[in-house]
Amino acid sequence: MMMNAKAAMAAVCGLAALAAAQPTVAQEDLKVGVIAALSGGGTAWGLGLQRGVQIALDEVNTAGGLKVAGKTYKLSMVAFDDQYNAAQAKTAAERLVNQEKISFLFGPVGSPGALGSLPVTQPAKVLQFVDGYAPAILKNEWHAGYVFRVNNSNREFAGPIVKWIRQTMPEVKKIGMIAPNDAVGQAAVPILVDAYKKEGFDVWVEYYERGSKEFTPLIVRMMAQKVDLFEINSNAPGEAGLMVKQARQVGFRGKILQSGGAGVDEMIEIAGPLAEGFLKYDVIEFTAPEVKPLVDAYNKKYQGIINGMVPIYYNAAHILLEAIRRADSLDTTKVRDEIEKMEGWETKMFGKLAWTGQAEYGAKHQIAQPFFIKEVKGGKGTVKTVLKPE
Amino acid sequence: MLSPILLGQAVVNGISLSAIYILVALGFTLLFGIMRVVNFAHGAFAMLGGYALYYVYGRWGVPYLIAAPLSALGVALAALVLERLVYRWFYQKMFQSMIGLLGLEMAIVFTAVIIWDPHERSVPAALAGIVEVGGIIVPTDKLVIVGVAAVALAAFYLFTKFSKYGLAMRAAAQDVEIAAAQGIDTTRIYQLAFVIAIFMAALAGGFYAQTYALSPLMGERPLMMAFIVVILGGMGSIPGVALGGIILGFAESFLGTFYGGSVAVFASFGAVILLLIFRPWGLLGTPET
Repeated sequence: MMMNAKAAMAAVCGLAALAAAQPTVAQEDLKVGVIAALSGGGTAWGLGLQRGVQIALDEVNTAGGLKVAGKTYKLSMVAFDDQYNAAQAKTAAERLVNQEKISFLFGPVGSPGALGSLPVTQPAKVLQFVDGYAPAILKNEWHAGYVFRVNNSNREFAGPIVKWIRQTMPEVKKIGMIAPNDAVGQAAVPILVDAYKKEGFDVWVEYYERGSKEFTPLIVRMMAQKVDLFEINSNAPGEAGLMVKQARQVGFRGKILQSGGAGVDEMIEIAGPLAEGFLKYDVIEFTAPEVKPLVDAYNKKYQGIINGMVPIYYNAAHILLEAIRRADSLDTTKVRDEIEKMEGWETKMFGKLAWTGQAEYGAKHQIAQPFFIKEVKGGKGTVKTVLKPE
Repeated sequence: MLSPILLGQAVVNGISLSAIYILVALGFTLLFGIMRVVNFAHGAFAMLGGYALYYVYGRWGVPYLIAAPLSALGVALAALVLERLVYRWFYQKMFQSMIGLLGLEMAIVFTAVIIWDPHERSVPAALAGIVEVGGIIVPTDKLVIVGVAAVALAAFYLFTKFSKYGLAMRAAAQDVEIAAAQGIDTTRIYQLAFVIAIFMAALAGGFYAQTYALSPLMGERPLMMAFIVVILGGMGSIPGVALGGIILGFAESFLGTFYGGSVAVFASFGAVILLLIFRPWGLLGTPET
């Protein structure tokens, strides 16, 4: 976290020096904020968020900066770690809003952090782009005034996934879930449970304290319930990978599926060969030609696995930047209004932009995009089917 | 819900959890027992042990039985630099060591974040597969950990109880000045105890990374578990580590299996609180005079 902040500051100083040396290219600095899990079980998502935004900012900077109302802005990022929890996210939001004076914020990923940060960002009219499944992220006392959810939530994808299971796995009757005992488990998991029950499945749920690494006793407890499908639900990649690994190690032979999260590679990295056959919701197919430029840019700049949060937040950053161009202003109300009008805008890799949520949340601030079910085969996630959100 | 297979599975899981907890706590209790140092950087050395094993075994392909001790030994010998620069200032200073070594932990962990980034990754298992006995499943990699924990515990106990250096360590633990007056080179003995303690931490960290996942921030939980185990068993007591590890491992397995995760956490921490109230020196520890 500190490293990123310092790197951002160093970049700012460097850019300022560059600007001073080249007076003909008058550029101002525009800082955008990032709150991401840069430690703990949600790290993979946090890094994906941070890197996706950074690649989008780099593209604009390389093209000469962002032109707004006659000025050209060089874009930079200030990032803080929320450790995937609400209290840290609130602290991070206070620092970004009150000290760094940012107006545009990406993240957090995950309901705990998203819900923790909203009481700071919404009264301050900071335009925020979050990913987390709790309905209260959009259905809240601020009427989702300055927050957009830039990924499908399980309210949108749970129904189609459960129907697909009903159609393709007739042998599955009972579902087992192990969920964190926090905002994820309390607000997001019940949506998934309801979707299963609506289709006639029997559902068993057990909770664990966030930070646990040993799930074997709970998995054994779940197996005693004779479940046919182990649903990993919205667990972060660190925990989800361990659940897959430990379930297979204690002899669970049923299907394992995760209706939530983004990216399957982290789980393959953690579970190794035991991930074989694992089914997973995902947001993008990285081998698609329209995604290749992003993958190339990622591999050029970073080491490690590219996950679904990279394209999600790369896309979110470009939505914001396009809205700023259209508004020709940095006023967050004007920019928000432009985002709402951008329905049908051709994104770089998700097709036409679509907003939904008026009936469900009272604001059309919920993105709606097709999604994938992938299956791990030969150590790789391969597309099994493509579904549309409800 | 109670069935012989389920009961057997809970016992097997309890044994493997206990083995991990014992391994993690052994080095921690040694440093406290000999030098009265509360090593809050213990988790950081466990993490370094995980990365060492990742490279030596996972990347360079050194055979596992050589790679595991070699990685731990590499970390322990490299840590001698920190023994000279940091630890030596905190010997016999329990409270100062807590704060000082917490700072060292943060310095090591965030240096690791800069070097490796916080991504979680896996260390390949030494033995992949499962053994099934009468319907009870035993993962083979956990069998390895149980075996190593048993050997380490026995070797540790025998070394401190019956070897010349172990005797010197115990003498230094009882009264460092009198031990020195008897001709014991306490600086060397402290260094030896330090190397053994860090070796154990790094070895445990390698197993921990293999069992769960490897990342610069992975040391937090082993540190917490080590702390709970030695409080339960008694700070500085090696048999206490064995007892504390077994109690914690079995409690987590049985309570988690039959009553759920939240009950297991509540009961484990509740037991530690009660122990701190009624027997603060632990089950097999001795009260401070």
